[in-house]
Amino acid sequence: MKTYKILLLLIGVSIMGCSDLEEEPSGLLAPEGFFNSVADIQTAVNGAYGHMTTEDFWGRKMSLPLMLRSDMVSIGDPTTSTRRIEHEEFNVPTDNGMISGYWQRVYQVIAAANQAIAGSALVGAPDEQKNPVVAQAYFVRAFAYFHLVRQFGAIPYLDEPVTDADAAGSISKTSAADVYTNIISDLEFAKTWLPNTQAARSIPAKSAAHSYLALVYLTTGDYQSAYNEAKGVIDNEGTYNLGLEADFQDLFDATTIDGSLEPIFALDFNGFSDGDTGRDYQAALTGLRNDEQYDLGGGWSVAVPSLEVYNTWDGRDYRKAVSLDTTGVFNGVTQPYTVFKESGASGRGVNRPHIAKYTRNTGITATGNGRGSQQNYSMIRYAEVLLIAAEALNEVSPGSTEAEGYLNRVRARARNSNGVTSGLFPADISGLSQSDFRDMVLEERKWELAFEFKRWYDIARRRIGPQVFGASGLEGAKPGFSEDQDYLYPLPADELARNPNLMPNNPGY
Amino acid sequence: MQKQLRKAKVKWISLSIFFLFGLALNAQQTVTGKVSSSPNGLPLPGANILVKGTTQGATTDFDGNYSIEVEDGTAVLVFSYIGFVPQEITVGSQSVINVTLLEDTNQLNEIVVVGYGSVKKSDVTGAVSSVKAKELNAFPLLNAEQALQGRAAGVVVQSNNGGEPGAPINIKIRGNTSINASSNPLIVVDGFVGATMPQPNDIASMEILKDASATAIYGSRGSNGVVLVTTKKGRSGKLTVEVNSNYSTQNTANELDLLNADQFATYQTALNPGYAPGNAETDWQDLLYRGGSVSNHQFSFSGGSENVNFYASTNYFKQEGVVINSEFERISFLGNVDAQVTDKLKLGMNLFANRGSQDGVPTQSTGETANGGGDDVISLMFRFAPDLPIQDENGINTINSVGDNVDNPYAIATESVNQTKRDDYRANLYASYDILEGLNFKTTFGYSTRNETFGLFRPSTLTETAGPIGGSAAIENFKRTSLLSENYLTYNREIGKGNLTLLAGYSYQKTNTQRFAAGAQGFTSDSFSFNNLGGGAVPLLPSSSFVESEIQSQFGRLNFDWDDKYLLTATVRRDGASNFAANEKYAIFPSGAIGWKVSNEDFMQNIEEISNLKFRASYGLTGNQAIGAYESLAQFNNIYAVLNGQTVNAVFPEVAANPNLKWETSYQTNIGLDVGLLNNKVSLSLDYYNIDTRDLIIRETSQPEYFGILPSLKNVGEMNNKGFEINLNTRNISNENFTWTTDLNWSTNKNEFVTLLDGEDIILDASPGYFNIDETHILREGEAVGVFWGYEYQGVYQGGSLPEGTGILPGAEAGDQLFTDLDGDGVISPGDDKKIIGDPNPGWTFGFTNNFTYKNFDLNIFFQGVQGGDIMNLTNVQLFNGDSNATTDVLNSWTPSNTNTDIPRAKLRGKEISSRFVEDGSYIRLKNIAIGYNLPQDVIGKIGLESVRISVSAQNLFTITDYSGLDPEVSYFGTGGQGNSESNTTQGFDFGNYPTVRSFNFGVNLRF
Repeated sequence: MKTYKILLLLIGVSIMGCSDLEEEPSGLLAPEGFFNSVADIQTAVNGAYGHMTTEDFWGRKMSLPLMLRSDMVSIGDPTTSTRRIEHEEFNVPTDNGMISGYWQRVYQVIAAANQAIAGSALVGAPDEQKNPVVAQAYFVRAFAYFHLVRQFGAIPYLDEPVTDADAAGSISKTSAADVYTNIISDLEFAKTWLPNTQAARSIPAKSAAHSYLALVYLTTGDYQSAYNEAKGVIDNEGTYNLGLEADFQDLFDATTIDGSLEPIFALDFNGFSDGDTGRDYQAALTGLRNDEQYDLGGGWSVAVPSLEVYNTWDGRDYRKAVSLDTTGVFNGVTQPYTVFKESGASGRGVNRPHIAKYTRNTGITATGNGRGSQQNYSMIRYAEVLLIAAEALNEVSPGSTEAEGYLNRVRARARNSNGVTSGLFPADISGLSQSDFRDMVLEERKWELAFEFKRWYDIARRRIGPQVFGASGLEGAKPGFSEDQDYLYPLPADELARNPNLMPNNPGY
Repeated sequence: MQKQLRKAKVKWISLSIFFLFGLALNAQQTVTGKVSSSPNGLPLPGANILVKGTTQGATTDFDGNYSIEVEDGTAVLVFSYIGFVPQEITVGSQSVINVTLLEDTNQLNEIVVVGYGSVKKSDVTGAVSSVKAKELNAFPLLNAEQALQGRAAGVVVQSNNGGEPGAPINIKIRGNTSINASSNPLIVVDGFVGATMPQPNDIASMEILKDASATAIYGSRGSNGVVLVTTKKGRSGKLTVEVNSNYSTQNTANELDLLNADQFATYQTALNPGYAPGNAETDWQDLLYRGGSVSNHQFSFSGGSENVNFYASTNYFKQEGVVINSEFERISFLGNVDAQVTDKLKLGMNLFANRGSQDGVPTQSTGETANGGGDDVISLMFRFAPDLPIQDENGINTINSVGDNVDNPYAIATESVNQTKRDDYRANLYASYDILEGLNFKTTFGYSTRNETFGLFRPSTLTETAGPIGGSAAIENFKRTSLLSENYLTYNREIGKGNLTLLAGYSYQKTNTQRFAAGAQGFTSDSFSFNNLGGGAVPLLPSSSFVESEIQSQFGRLNFDWDDKYLLTATVRRDGASNFAANEKYAIFPSGAIGWKVSNEDFMQNIEEISNLKFRASYGLTGNQAIGAYESLAQFNNIYAVLNGQTVNAVFPEVAANPNLKWETSYQTNIGLDVGLLNNKVSLSLDYYNIDTRDLIIRETSQPEYFGILPSLKNVGEMNNKGFEINLNTRNISNENFTWTTDLNWSTNKNEFVTLLDGEDIILDASPGYFNIDETHILREGEAVGVFWGYEYQGVYQGGSLPEGTGILPGAEAGDQLFTDLDGDGVISPGDDKKIIGDPNPGWTFGFTNNFTYKNFDLNIFFQGVQGGDIMNLTNVQLFNGDSNATTDVLNSWTPSNTNTDIPRAKLRGKEISSRFVEDGSYIRLKNIAIGYNLPQDVIGKIGLESVRISVSAQNLFTITDYSGLDPEVSYFGTGGQGNSESNTTQGFDFGNYPTVRSFNFGVNLRF
């Protein structure tokens, strides 16, 4: 009898495992049931911000080509990877690794925004409560597509989460004009619903949508609208709590930029990261190899301005000193740029002044070489809005003192070195012809926004490639540049293979 | 077991009766003597002695002594004992006959453990290999997995990281069957599914189940084969106490021939005229290598009374690696108790505890750029400038003067902490009950847990990796528990000349995995290691996860043999698993096999030479649970995001759901032939197999990326493995004083992707992250898994016009690399000019063992080798790149005056993957040579011991290979780390492996 008792007990223990085998993940989020409150929408929008601050997007893959394709920055270390050199030399194959790395990520930004917008429909709160948050998603979507349309022209365009994979997988490209229409419509929604100000410039406020509208119209050549929007921002300078930072250097000080009124929309890094997410890399990419002056362990000398940038930049311009480092410290000794290569033990330095905007005041850097800094990156700042207003107004009504005023305001701040107005350079301008004024504004953008990832877009929208990449350009003749091809990137070849309806690729590729 | 005991009892009774009769009738001639075993001369208790042609017999007592009555001198005595060759002796005039029985190397009568039961080896219908304790003990092993290397055809065993103390071991049976899922076999220890391997000295036997007829009983976990491990049990009778002690010294088998400081300075100056040579002379290899050692001590005792048997052991293992500061220490315990509670009820329990403590140095780094590609001491000791000291004049650890800023390997090895502590516990209880004659019920209930803590610390004195951030520390804990309950009925019945065995059972297993990690940087002191994360100014993102999976199954098997000639096996298992997608929760895996013992047919009886001939054929389905928990579900995931300087909650849609996701299924055919010749002096097994794995799970790359969401996993691929295996065992010489046996196993496997998603190539990367290249190998339809992908090297470009069909990279000049120009545009570009440049899959592998015994001496010589199988030497990709130290080969670089060379000019260049770095990885290795000596009985008897064995051996004494790297057994997995998918598809890459070692060993085994 005892035997049976033992046996029964064992069988009892054994049979206890009977299950319906349903999975109930804890610690994972399922899309179903996620969207319940306005805060949940914000969390979903934050996902889009998170994607933007990855290595694939702002860290390197998206930002570095913008630098290298311009006439102001070229490759320093010659052993850097081919996929970067291809952009520098306008020899970009359809499987370029910078593009294919970035392509998926930018669409993840868009998918996150689309998910937030679609999810908001499930939240019961009234429009007045949820739309100011949803409007951030509209802004982000416009922001992402605006980069895409400028880089690729016609692109696959999705404005909702994919539910029918077959349908979404066979769409054709949306024309650049239609993409711009959608961008403008998204920005209009954002402008309508976003609050005038936000807790930080990394969260888009009405000013961001408003300013981006100005930049979008400027890009499409609708100068009247560009002027109207820029003017709208300027008129609301107080409402939007905007202004120019007194000292140009402070714009690039990671420890003080959070308090500045000048950034309008910024990507925020705090020195921490989760792998490559949250790493900005710019201090490493632009920093001087083996340099000891900023305690970063030296940079990589990858993106280094051509020497002509230094030579042609008026030495009296305070912004030149802020933007460039002409000395480095090696083995405790300060050395001029003419011997950077020889001074650094690696032999991979380059004898040119280096970009200083992202290395001089990085704040916390959680990783060596300044791969992850505390820097904020202005996607648009108030000085640019002033320059947009000046440029656009000059196109629609040349010779106005109003346009001169916007330009001179930017130049005046540039004279303000270390918080003290010293020197007379750059002097105010007046009385220029429409054409000279146009050139002057572009020139001003070049120095004011130097290395801020704007120059390539200016070259492309003004179609000045043949001029700036000719023999007299800052980087000398760049024979790889072709006007018929290189204002646009190639769409990734493997993406065209996945959806042949996206063919053909851009001209020349 | 039950049956055997009963049989033994019957035998005893009948023997007693015979004795009584014998005594009653007539006291005739009495023969006495002692039966002992060869080669060690130990007495054999319980051996049978039978008078031939009669039923008259006797059994030896505890000391091997016997006494038997015979009619007269013409009587012939037959001495037999399980596992030994029977001997016949005519009595003649002798009254004392001492017999030494030779061990039976013919294994046909062995009992082979199969899933949920056991069969006689001669009745096996599938493909099963056995490794017995004797082979396990042929030479000192670091772990039980190692015992399988070269021992069984079709089984490939490789360390994950060369000779690293405590490195995990990969086992692959009959090739890769998956891309995403593990290709490692299921390990079953004493019936516990998914267990940790016990220590080699505790193992009685290991069975490797290779074909579907053997593995289908394990259903969705059977595709990669199954290794069944049976640990030692106690035997009734005298208590046995055993002590095993081994000590080995180890050293690196090889070093690279690198430039010295002067050569390096010259070389670098050629590259960079401004190079300022350092004034030190450092041989980093000398600094980092040392003589290693292994000590391994095992103590066990076992025994039992009539009803209770036990076995208990403890083992202490310590290895000091051949790289400074790398160590592994292990303490383990095993206990087995079996109790015959009543005639019908048997209870037993199996306990296992293990603590492994690994103090490592970083090797095989993923080379993430985030680490500067610079925390891997092995690759760094090759890369690092030989003209730099360990510390500069200010006491600061040097960083490399060329290439990326990386810390010197000596500083990393001595100052960073890289520690893993792993605890395993397992308990398994069983009850076995004979319900009726022939019907048995067995139930097991077990629980296992693994607790692993990984700590990493880099002090601020590491100038590059940790200096700027004030030191960094991280700690990660991983805990997995598994609960298993199995219940099955076994029914056995004889039907006429037939014998039927039926099995039916139910099994349930639940596994929980919990993980958390935290870290910090910016420590006030370097003394905290990772034990005070709060002492860091900057906390890193913490993370945690919890995963639960369940599997419940029904299984059954039918074994039928008719007249000991015709064998039939049929099995089926139905698995339900929580990991499976909503619409596909249950999977069924059937298999069938037939066997024909031709040699037992009447027409074969006259053919003396053929002692055994058997055909086997099987077909069946097995599965691979390639789906991780929750992988079929749609998922939001967290992402790191910052607003207003603060990290905020952020989620994004990461992956779409696939409710139809299924397991991967292997359709396996096995055809085998067993031949025994000359009284089984020669036994040969041949097996052919064809494994077609369908529904391979691949993340759908055909989904456009503009969806912005990862495609779900889909069942789309098909892979085929076919191969041929030979096992040949011969007893060349066998007499009382001398035996010589030879085991040879040889296998070949051909792997091919039959279909991949839409025929699209999948290009993969196994290079260290800092190489900044994206492509090293490819999966392509019609090709084997993981073939290398890159440019085809055509030697050095001599300048002038390009040779027909070749090209150079943009900007290249005379003296640079010349490649095949596939698209004929004269320019080498990544999109157009890459091709398949090598295949890491070996042509064939073999193991060749010779065992000799002479009196009390024994000798084991074991060769193991691989033919074919290319290696991608990523170490050389780095060392020929100009931004590091180099091998002395660069002294022969192209210069305008030295043009007849294969080595391009000294130059800083990108790390292009090309056939220049693909080498043949074939090798033959003397894996082991061991000599053992058993002290004579008369000597040890005096000191009260039962047996004493002394052995000396050497492992990896020499290797014949053309491979230029340190060792042809390479295993670098690149940025993917050591995840399943990477280890399946990433093969044959060499970079920063911990070196394989050569060792010399002395061992003593004492038995009381």
